Amino acid sequence: MIEKLTLAPLVTLRCCRDSRFKQGCLSIQLVRTMKEEESAKNALLPSVLLRGTERCPDLRAITDALDLLYGASVSPLVRRVGDYQTTGLYCGFMDDRFALPGDQVLEPTLAFLEELLLDSPTENGGFLPAFVESEKRNLIAAIEAERNDKRIYAANQLLQAMGREDTFGLPRMGRKEQVERIDPVELMEHYRTILRTSPIEIFYVGSADSNRVARLLQPLLARLDRCPVPLLPQTPFHPGPREDLTEALDVTQGKLCMGFTTPITNRHPDYAAMHLMETVFGGGMTSKLFQNVRERLSLCYFVSSSYYSTKGVLVVSAGIDFDKEERTRQEILTQLEACVQGRITEEELTAARESVLNGLRATHDSPNSIEGFYATRMLCGVDLNLADYMDAIRAVTLEDVIRAAASVKLQTTYFLKGARK
Amino acid sequence: MNRVYYPELDETVCREILDNGLRVCVVPRQGFSKKLAYLVTDYGSIHTDFSLDGREYTAPAGVAHYLEHKMFDLPGGRDVSAEFAALGANTNAFTGYDLTAYYFSCTEHFEECLRLLVEFVSTPYFTDESVEKERGIIDQEIGMYADTPDSQVFELLARSMYEKHPIRVPILGTSETIRQITPEVLYTCHRAFYTPGNMLLCVVGDVDPEQVCGIARQVLGSERHPTGVKHKDWDEAMHCSVKEVRDRMDVAMPMFNLAFKCPATGTGDAAIRQEMVADLASEALFGESSELYLRLYEEGIIDSSFGGGFETLDGCAMLMCSGDSEDAEAVRTAILAEAEKLTQTGMDPQRFLRMKRSALGRRIRGLDSFDATCYRLCAYHFADFDYFRFPEIYRDIREDEILEFLHRAVREDNCCLSVIDPIDRAEEV
Repeated sequence: MIEKLTLAPLVTLRCCRDSRFKQGCLSIQLVRTMKEEESAKNALLPSVLLRGTERCPDLRAITDALDLLYGASVSPLVRRVGDYQTTGLYCGFMDDRFALPGDQVLEPTLAFLEELLLDSPTENGGFLPAFVESEKRNLIAAIEAERNDKRIYAANQLLQAMGREDTFGLPRMGRKEQVERIDPVELMEHYRTILRTSPIEIFYVGSADSNRVARLLQPLLARLDRCPVPLLPQTPFHPGPREDLTEALDVTQGKLCMGFTTPITNRHPDYAAMHLMETVFGGGMTSKLFQNVRERLSLCYFVSSSYYSTKGVLVVSAGIDFDKEERTRQEILTQLEACVQGRITEEELTAARESVLNGLRATHDSPNSIEGFYATRMLCGVDLNLADYMDAIRAVTLEDVIRAAASVKLQTTYFLKGARK
Repeated sequence: MNRVYYPELDETVCREILDNGLRVCVVPRQGFSKKLAYLVTDYGSIHTDFSLDGREYTAPAGVAHYLEHKMFDLPGGRDVSAEFAALGANTNAFTGYDLTAYYFSCTEHFEECLRLLVEFVSTPYFTDESVEKERGIIDQEIGMYADTPDSQVFELLARSMYEKHPIRVPILGTSETIRQITPEVLYTCHRAFYTPGNMLLCVVGDVDPEQVCGIARQVLGSERHPTGVKHKDWDEAMHCSVKEVRDRMDVAMPMFNLAFKCPATGTGDAAIRQEMVADLASEALFGESSELYLRLYEEGIIDSSFGGGFETLDGCAMLMCSGDSEDAEAVRTAILAEAEKLTQTGMDPQRFLRMKRSALGRRIRGLDSFDATCYRLCAYHFADFDYFRFPEIYRDIREDEILEFLHRAVREDNCCLSVIDPIDRAEEV
């Protein structure tokens, strides 16, 4: 289903040819190891690239060019996948068959992508200072805006605290002070370095065959001066000491986050079992957390868990009254203990299994979900074949789920409560 | 069954009205695993005043949403979510200002899932105990939105801008209004608005349209029931008496909603055309390829959080934009000035064509999303329009219609600005 072509050393094109869709997508990611000193630069780069090219000197010219391509979109793509950070661009474009007779979309879109990546206007050997300064302001605003939604804020506070000893604790977009220090020449040097040395992952979904996509990418690749350096493999989570944190802010509702660790990552033989265990515990409306913390005890509206499988970190979050912290905390632990003790009904296990399989089967029904699924999985060091993985999910037994549950240990908790006025 | 092929979109839609009044709309998509079904009632949070069987009712604010939560209980202790889960399907629902939707998506067991959807939405079952228990959950949901600045900035705008239209009341109601909700209130609202004649069943996926109709017929029977008559005494003046309103929350940067009150568009072809004209007008005025957007972005007055468009619902419409800005007043001033300039100088014809092509392309791309397609088909259906006809509407829209709209809509008189400022943290301590 997914065809893999090596276009040059450490330049990989993966293609999912599918003509059911009305649009195609193509992502290009430079893959880096997440580092304190460069995460802010990697987060900033794509936004600067999208500000203008030699031919399209400002935002308006860029948007005009995209409008002409039937409203194609190119957006910054900055991901964190385990120990890696990727930086690049994501294009979405209408399929050629809906264009006016004689018109093409894919070919000119890829030509425009080349222009965006390689034809930035320069000044004194750096990016244009006006572009860099304005995108620095935007990035800082985006970093600070993570504070606005207190659900996200609370989860971020927890992850940063529990990941002090791990790359997982580094903020996804860098820190404000690091962004402030970036200068246009240094940013250009960094960009040249990572273009030369980083593994490049390109992912395409759409109606064109892989050879045509590879051919259309040739002019872009021919302009790269490459000396690639392979990445170190992903590492498991390095936990710090066990901690309980509380913070007071002006909020109406308390947000409780509990962080757990497990040695089971997506590279582990028990991954499928852990995936099911997490679904039974806190994934969706039939989970133990939803059924007990919300439905039985009416403690909250939202409660759920998320499993960061590249690192083996599991986070539970809930929005509750300030005085219900202890009760909620206890109930969450009680439900985890129920999983460890194997108090899981046949219905619960079936519901979790069917829900996971349903999600996996639907993965191939949209270009975005195909790209999202494979383009991140392959960076985890898992060459995941969907059909094999579905078989693994089908084969998981109750004993496997119990074993996975028993590996989960509480590490850090964070409670956001109201500030007295 | 009526079957129409839309060559420009390469889509087919099958439609039928059952004897019981239910409208059915199926978009067969061969070769896809996912199947998505929406069962939607033409009833939302704003429809609190109505008459049924000769009696008048005024329901507490938040009732449509409360009802949506409680529909998931069935007699005999049956749990709808668990039954869907056993079939490997995801189910959920949402309440809007003017509609309520229940849906599931699945890859297998479609028939059973569809039967269950139609059954649970048509089976009211509320007890004192279960209604009481839900209050704590909904109270926490209200608390969650109280901490979400995006919701707060809009609710502040709506209640300042509108004097009569119930968009001024939050969809969830308030902790006080939901205390008045009892099983009896829920039964009455269900009887009034969950009749097949007030609902639409919309399915997207590789399914047999005849079978969809057959299942709906079997579960709902053929009898028609009287639907409640909504009272819409919402004669809203276009003038905004409150021009600016502010509040404080713990946000990083001030966050704003800026809106221009417009006359309701009504229903049918003319209304949809008006809506698409307004949408293009907002694109021309402050879309990403507009002169205004470029200038404000480069000056650092707006950032990539900025966006906007034309919003319509039953009985009201507004041209709106939102974003984070240290100077929301400057955004307002610039938009007013730009609209005036555009109506005087007109648009570059090339740019107008490009804009139309882009808007059309983005709508076509949007059809890849099952959820967006289903939602649009439903929303436009209640406005009495076949959404898949959008390409022909776009083709016909002229530049002077855009300018005419901007001239009428973008004025100081019908404008309201809502801002959430950061708490002064130094002052707090």
